[in-house]
Amino acid sequence: MEREVVVQMKNVSKKIGNRTIIDQLSLQVYPGEVYGFLGPNGAGKTMTIRMIVGLISMTEGDVLIHGKSVTNNFEKAIAHVGGVIENPEMYEYLSGYENLVHFARMSPKKVTKQRISQVVKLVGLDGRIQHKVRKYSLGMKQRLGLAQAILHSPSLLILDEPTNGLDPAGIREIRAYIRNVAHQEQMAVFVSSHLLAEMQLMCDRIGIVQNGKLIREEGMNELTKADEEKTIQLQVNRLEDAFQLLNNAFPTADIEIIQDRIIISLRREYLPSCNQVLVQNNFDVYEMAQVQTTLEEKFLEVTEEK
Amino acid sequence: MASFINLLKNEHMKLFKRTGTMVMVAVMLLAVLGAGAVSKFMINPDTQSDWQAELEAENIQFENMLDESNQTSAEQERMQEQLALNNYRLENNKPPVNSETLWGFMIDASNLTGLAALFTIVAASSILAHEFSQGTIKLLLIRPVKRSKILQSKYVTAMMFSGMLLVLIFAFSFLTGSLLFGFHGIDQSHLVYQEGRVVEQPMFMYVAQLFSLNSVEVLMMGTFAFMVAAIFKNSSFAIGISIFLLFTGPQLVQVLNDYGWAKYILFAHTNLQQYIHGTPIVEGMTFSFSISMLVIYFVIFLTLAWISFEKRDVTA
Ligand SMILES: Nc1ncnc2c1ncn2[C@@H]1O[C@H](COP(=O)(O)OP(=O)(O)OP(=O)(O)O)[C@@H](O)[C@H]1O
Ligand SMILES: [Mg+2]
Repeated sequence: MEREVVVQMKNVSKKIGNRTIIDQLSLQVYPGEVYGFLGPNGAGKTMTIRMIVGLISMTEGDVLIHGKSVTNNFEKAIAHVGGVIENPEMYEYLSGYENLVHFARMSPKKVTKQRISQVVKLVGLDGRIQHKVRKYSLGMKQRLGLAQAILHSPSLLILDEPTNGLDPAGIREIRAYIRNVAHQEQMAVFVSSHLLAEMQLMCDRIGIVQNGKLIREEGMNELTKADEEKTIQLQVNRLEDAFQLLNNAFPTADIEIIQDRIIISLRREYLPSCNQVLVQNNFDVYEMAQVQTTLEEKFLEVTEEK
Repeated sequence: MASFINLLKNEHMKLFKRTGTMVMVAVMLLAVLGAGAVSKFMINPDTQSDWQAELEAENIQFENMLDESNQTSAEQERMQEQLALNNYRLENNKPPVNSETLWGFMIDASNLTGLAALFTIVAASSILAHEFSQGTIKLLLIRPVKRSKILQSKYVTAMMFSGMLLVLIFAFSFLTGSLLFGFHGIDQSHLVYQEGRVVEQPMFMYVAQLFSLNSVEVLMMGTFAFMVAAIFKNSSFAIGISIFLLFTGPQLVQVLNDYGWAKYILFAHTNLQQYIHGTPIVEGMTFSFSISMLVIYFVIFLTLAWISFEKRDVTA
């Protein structure tokens, strides 16, 4: 089935001087999808976002938003977009509310007072919205940043490290909000982060960027299930004997003893026979659990290989 | 699409919510009051008691100098003119304007437009550069509004602020003047020397003329500062260089006025009062030449501001 694309980046490159900061980057984000843009510091996440929203020019390639070119048809393309780029800088000498009024006035469609109060409530700033932004904490600014981004109900929400500075409850709220707008309202959400655990919890698809290149792109399910090999930890009596037994039974597997456990990596289909071998040889198995191959390990693995 | 009016509302909100802006307005008003207080209470009034004697003394001095005739022809012309005006006053019993009258005070207050130029420079520089230094430019530019429209709304707002300051000086000095000095002498006329004759003009016209001529400098320096801020995105630099040039520019032209090309320098034209008081700073310049030069500079400033704002990558 042909799905409508919200953002399409086509071979986008950015050179500053003779440094290539973004290199032939292509990706698509679809409605109802949370796309995680993951990369270590300096990978080019913010740079990419700046190009999507037209703050900086592209050396090569183009970005289409709902089919409209950001380069040639900026106003049409950007009308669908809301976002926070890098830090949520707002006018410090204005109140949170005045900031929202300011951006509401620039909206492509009319933003009513009711809509503003609705958004204020949604981001949890009702108590402090009349205060000057100068007096806000980082987390409150982050919330106000989100508020200005969603004020005009965009169909593409771009957030650059949105959980920076938020407390755990705030992070959970933002995560829930992001998943909700994507899945209920079919908004496309493009989120950047260098924190994997977080991405794991909120994204449907993740692209990993390193040195300006998109080096891997996978759906969350694929990314964790891609390897059929599972790592299992076993707690048994007679540790050394069990270790010998398994070593003989599965000569190709990685096996080691860590503290009071055996850690073994096996393909999924061998797991039952592993259990069987132990039971048949009268070992008492107290625990047999999967060690999660976290995305974090994967991420490190991917980004550390030069 | 967001209307231009909305953009103007935004810029006005941001300008007037900043403490600095209201401080500038307050200082402006205090300066007018201060000038009023100085002329009312500090300047010794009896220097003005015998204007006839003074003018006669002045005339004798002029005549002596003309006899020595070691001045340029332009200087000689000026003295002839002054002589004619003084004689007209003596013959028709029309004393010169006293600074302790409403008009006299307003003529003095017209120099406070220099302060307005200063504040216009500050406002025009920061209205742009602050968006960059605060990082808010990113949020401002990811809206469905052309960059050029945003730039326009900022320029127009800065100039409206400037206009407001000028109107404020005019109106407030009228108010202060009338309260401190009353309305005596309100019917005095201004004397000008035209085509070999002394002509009387309504004084109000003359005062208004002084203010409007001075406004040109305010407009040009504000536009210059706006351009520098658009190119360098740094308000301190834009303010610094503009204020420096505001004060030294005219001196610079004075120093260079032997060279023919000095008449192409902006500051040869910012003080248009040179055409009603005395001789042009560079010989041979005319009023219409100055206006043409000002228009050319004005267009160049705005074009450069527009090009650099339109094209620039925003990495703030
Ligand atoms: N104005 C600039 N001129 C030249 N190079 C720049 C400029 N801004 C950023 N870079 C370079 O571009 C690269 C990507 O920077 P970017 O800010 O996009 O990284 P990031 O992925 O957002 O990192 P972080 O996680 O730290 O936010 C970096 O190597 C940086 O040094
Ligand atoms: Mg970044």
